[in-house]
Amino acid sequence: MRNRFYFWILFLSGLVLLIFVLVAAYRELTPEWSGYQADYKNQLVTTLKDEAAKKKARSLSVEVQQLYLADLQRIDRCTSCHVGVENPLMAKAKTPLKQHSGDYLANHSPEKFGCTICHYGQGRATNKREAHGMGHETHWDFPVIPAKYLQSACVQCHDAGTLKAKGWDSVARGENLVNEKGCRGCHKLGGAGGVLGKALAGVGSKPIAYFPMGGVDGEKNTYAWFKQHFIDPRKLVPISEMKVTVTDEEADYLTAYVLSLRSGEMPKQFRQFNDAATTAPPSPTDGEALYKRYCIACHGTGKDSMFDEIFGRTVPSIMNPAFLKTADNKLLKKVIEEGRAGTQMTSWKAAAAGLTGQETDSIIQYLTKARPSDKPEVFGYMRYKADQKHGEDVYNMRCWHCHGKKGEGELGLNLRNPVVQGDDPEFLAITVRDGRKDTPMPPFGKNGLRLADQDIADVVAFVKTLGQRK
Amino acid sequence: MIEKEGKEMEEIWKRSNHIAFIVCLTLLLSVLMETGQGIKNAYAGDVVVDPGKKVFGERCMVCHGDKGNGKGPAGIIRNSEKGGRILLVRPRDFTTGVFRFRSTPTGCMPVDNDLLRLVDLGIPRSFMPPHKDKLSPEEKKAVIEYIKTFAKRWKEESPCEAIPVKQPKYVGSRSSIEKGLTVYKKMKCWECHGDDGRGGGGKADKIKDDWGNPIPPFNFTSGALKRGGTPEDVYITFTTGLDGTGMPSYEDSLNEEERWDLVSYTLKLMGLVK
Repeated sequence: MRNRFYFWILFLSGLVLLIFVLVAAYRELTPEWSGYQADYKNQLVTTLKDEAAKKKARSLSVEVQQLYLADLQRIDRCTSCHVGVENPLMAKAKTPLKQHSGDYLANHSPEKFGCTICHYGQGRATNKREAHGMGHETHWDFPVIPAKYLQSACVQCHDAGTLKAKGWDSVARGENLVNEKGCRGCHKLGGAGGVLGKALAGVGSKPIAYFPMGGVDGEKNTYAWFKQHFIDPRKLVPISEMKVTVTDEEADYLTAYVLSLRSGEMPKQFRQFNDAATTAPPSPTDGEALYKRYCIACHGTGKDSMFDEIFGRTVPSIMNPAFLKTADNKLLKKVIEEGRAGTQMTSWKAAAAGLTGQETDSIIQYLTKARPSDKPEVFGYMRYKADQKHGEDVYNMRCWHCHGKKGEGELGLNLRNPVVQGDDPEFLAITVRDGRKDTPMPPFGKNGLRLADQDIADVVAFVKTLGQRK
Repeated sequence: MIEKEGKEMEEIWKRSNHIAFIVCLTLLLSVLMETGQGIKNAYAGDVVVDPGKKVFGERCMVCHGDKGNGKGPAGIIRNSEKGGRILLVRPRDFTTGVFRFRSTPTGCMPVDNDLLRLVDLGIPRSFMPPHKDKLSPEEKKAVIEYIKTFAKRWKEESPCEAIPVKQPKYVGSRSSIEKGLTVYKKMKCWECHGDDGRGGGGKADKIKDDWGNPIPPFNFTSGALKRGGTPEDVYITFTTGLDGTGMPSYEDSLNEEERWDLVSYTLKLMGLVK
């Protein structure tokens, strides 16, 4: 009895193993592409009228098709399934046998360009899931690019003008948005830009592992990440300080643009740039254009100071006449070139964010257009013997509400940062006395909250010590 | 102040025989008039007797104004929300006696503890700073009493009883969220707050507060409520409404369970539960 039992166990497991082996063998012998190719042959035979052509179609061998692209260092096997891409008879067939849409292949012969240079995807793969890089946990970098972002490939060889003439302007629109929204305020791009965000050079060809994919809805790939990040940056990167408000359509344009920022160039024989049509950076003397390019993302119109919930501090109104009245060009230049440590204001000198001295001067010239001609009344800080201790009392009574208990700033300016600490006390005293019209900083002098000048001198002396206090 | 300085001047005049000193004194007269004698008598003429008025003058006046009408020297503050909206923050006008953050039913005056809570904890994202460690209990009491002098309502009406809040266990559960969604649809919350809770509903641009200023509906994805971020805070907002704004009270139109379900749904909108 017992022997019989073990016999059946052995027999059944042997049977199961045999079934597995047979299934594996069957799957190996009938890959996806062979089915498509057989289908392709059948369709050709039924469509073709001419007997000779029918015979030729019947004799097509079913095998892996491969495009070897020496110049591009790619091997594309996409035509194993997409076997009819070049065949006009397949114009009405179903995917994957369908002929390539449009007349793209007339100028981009698959033998020279292959497929993945435009469409991405894994050229070497021989099944759909891996070739397209789609599906749950495929983990392939650069899955097949969605059609709406395809134009990011065109700009590798063609300039925006040529593409626009054909109606393919999504990358150009994206680039315009980047210029309008002042993305360079935080992102380095083309040699200049802030350091708050990541540099954007080559970001379009970064692998999936470069991006935190946790919060991405749907297919977790770079394309989805970019778009969702433009719509709600903090959903994907909780600590992100990115300020962006775009519509769904704009997010698509921006995604197409960033995907076009690839590392490396196409080989020379592929590129067809007409240099005259590429968008040029603004002239170094055009202060307004430079302001829009580098400053507008945070400072907006520059007319209103605004508390920014993302930054957790107030972004000053740098074109407010009351500010310009007290701040001279030297101070402005110092702030722009050195930045404001401890805040989001980047150092913009050539070695950091990459503005030349001439460009900085142009921006200052633009900022100070509305500067009033009269100078503020002299305070004469040096006349007073300032008492820091009393200054602390005044600070605790009048200033901490906005500037924070330790001067760290919230609604008010961060008083601890080196630029303020290094500021001329006279400038600080005048600011305290006269306030900043059109900002929440009220005048504390005799025309406002009636602090005596001695108190102002004291509190300025105290503020100057905040940098060293813990 | 001027009298006092006059007396001092007389004394100095008597003591000094030096003509040069007198000349110097005349020259420095204007400077002296301005510099005053330090913070204690910096506020010329203000002999502060009422401690509440003193605290108000030091802490509150900058924003709420001398007369408590919300028009202090700091003025309107611009706040750029995380979602990109720009809000104009206007300090509370105490002269009408209308308060948003109460624990009492709509139309009622707040109880002292409501005001004390705001003084203590401040109002996040509206620049009302917390004064928990900055003022003594007596000072807080005094300033609250002083704030009550601005509006007639405080003399004519007395506060109602505070509404008790106890959070049931089912808040945040999946079934409660689903029920909350039906309440959200039924009560037309989306008309103002939008389908996605981002404050972009069809009526959003038309709402005005009691002072005639546009008041945008809350964007649930922008962070904690001004009142606080706990489920209890959300519940009490539904129950009491925010007087003076477009947010009505749902105490009569929804039962307690429905309000808690709605809390569950808003917690989901805020991303606090899944």
